[in-house]
Amino acid sequence: MKYNIEKSLIMHVDLNSAFATIEQQSRPMLRGRSVAVINRRTENTSIVTASYEAKGAGVKVGMKFTEASRLAPGLVAVESDPAKYRYVYRKLMSILNSYSPNVVMKSIDEGIIDFHGVPINCSLIDIGYEIKKRLRDEVGCAMRCNVGIGPNRFLAKTAAGLHKPDGLDIIDASNLRSVYRTLKLTDLTGIASHMERRLNAVNIFTPIQFLDTGAVALQKVVFKSIVGHQWYERLRGYEVDNRTSDTKTVGRQYVLENRDLTLFEIAARLHHLCESVGHRLRAQNKIARGVYVHVRTIDRKYWHNCRMCQMPFYSDNTINTIAQQLFLDAPGRIQEIGIRCYELSNDDNPQVSLFNDVMAREQYLVSAIDGINRRFGDRTVHSADTLKTSEFMKQKTSFGSTRYL
Amino acid sequence: MNDEVFLNERIKVVTVFGDGLNPCRPLRFRRINGREIDVTEIGLRHPRAQGKRMVHIFDVTDGSADYRIELDAERLTWRLTREADHEI
Repeated sequence: MKYNIEKSLIMHVDLNSAFATIEQQSRPMLRGRSVAVINRRTENTSIVTASYEAKGAGVKVGMKFTEASRLAPGLVAVESDPAKYRYVYRKLMSILNSYSPNVVMKSIDEGIIDFHGVPINCSLIDIGYEIKKRLRDEVGCAMRCNVGIGPNRFLAKTAAGLHKPDGLDIIDASNLRSVYRTLKLTDLTGIASHMERRLNAVNIFTPIQFLDTGAVALQKVVFKSIVGHQWYERLRGYEVDNRTSDTKTVGRQYVLENRDLTLFEIAARLHHLCESVGHRLRAQNKIARGVYVHVRTIDRKYWHNCRMCQMPFYSDNTINTIAQQLFLDAPGRIQEIGIRCYELSNDDNPQVSLFNDVMAREQYLVSAIDGINRRFGDRTVHSADTLKTSEFMKQKTSFGSTRYL
Repeated sequence: MNDEVFLNERIKVVTVFGDGLNPCRPLRFRRINGREIDVTEIGLRHPRAQGKRMVHIFDVTDGSADYRIELDAERLTWRLTREADHEI
């Protein structure tokens, strides 16, 4: 198969070190300084995002703050501020939506514009520079983004990563090989160390060797599935990633703020997680049938317990009742707790239940509480035993999904 | 570590309401100790919904420290909620 010679009509826009750049934008005194965004104000906290100045000093995402501050003296840690990041996300989304109706936000800091079928009277390069300018004008002068243009999502994302920060690159059939020559296998989106070892095992050490491997070999020998053929097409610029997936689970986890908490205090934090998960579940108009509880101990051991119910549920109270029962068997020396609801379906089941009056009562109660919380703010009404947990368990924004934004 | 100081201080603010992307621009504010601070740059303005009440959060600087001031759009009151001077 030849490379895809179709005109490059996919644009990938990626904010540079998003959270750190937004902090530098909102607090001008931080500009030009090493900044690390953290989720919790403790010495043992890990770094969520580092500014380019910090990255230049060797600070990496996921590093402990104490280690990072040794590498970058004067490193300023800033606690993450999800409301601010959501605002910039919406601004970015509104800018991207003004160019095409086919925009997909892949995460809080990156989006894809598909220009297929969209009448455009200038080149995509001009549009890319215009997006950069609009981001500076409409959000702030310190905001920078990378723009990548390609015939498919994979090449557009690869192009966006070529010259950070503030780059704009195109990868198409004409320069595809020369770009691959400059990259390592792990520079390709979707190839991490585990996948690299798998490719190395069949004598593929560079992206060019990966590109030159035949479709049959990739499918039958390397990946042993259709994934091999998808990689063959993806590397050549053919679109294989324009799929959407349904929400399979809704969950949340929490690393305990203190290792000396009593079981009662941990149960209260689990209850807080259940309320948060219930809220997310209902916000997506879903009902669940299963609850999965997990615990990670200080010795890095993983424990889990789960239960499937015959009747679907969506209330905080039901989720908490099941979770607390499952949690009774949990081991000691707990460091992290987590809960997720699974076996989700849409809340539009017309099936008549024998317990209709019980369920209707619960439904009225839950919707009344949700209504109060919508009107007067999150957690205006919540269970009494989670009264003191809000101080520690703040909502944080993840990079991955945009479902809860 | 983070050098922010969290406050909840009622302040008086001189503000210009105009047009453009930042139609509300705080220019100067007076703290309860009488100190006046001239805003030289608005870093970012973002809204935060507290239930149905909207609070507009302004991250501003006077060139020597960063401040966060919040306008409650329902009560029309201003509060200083954060200060950071980033001294090492």
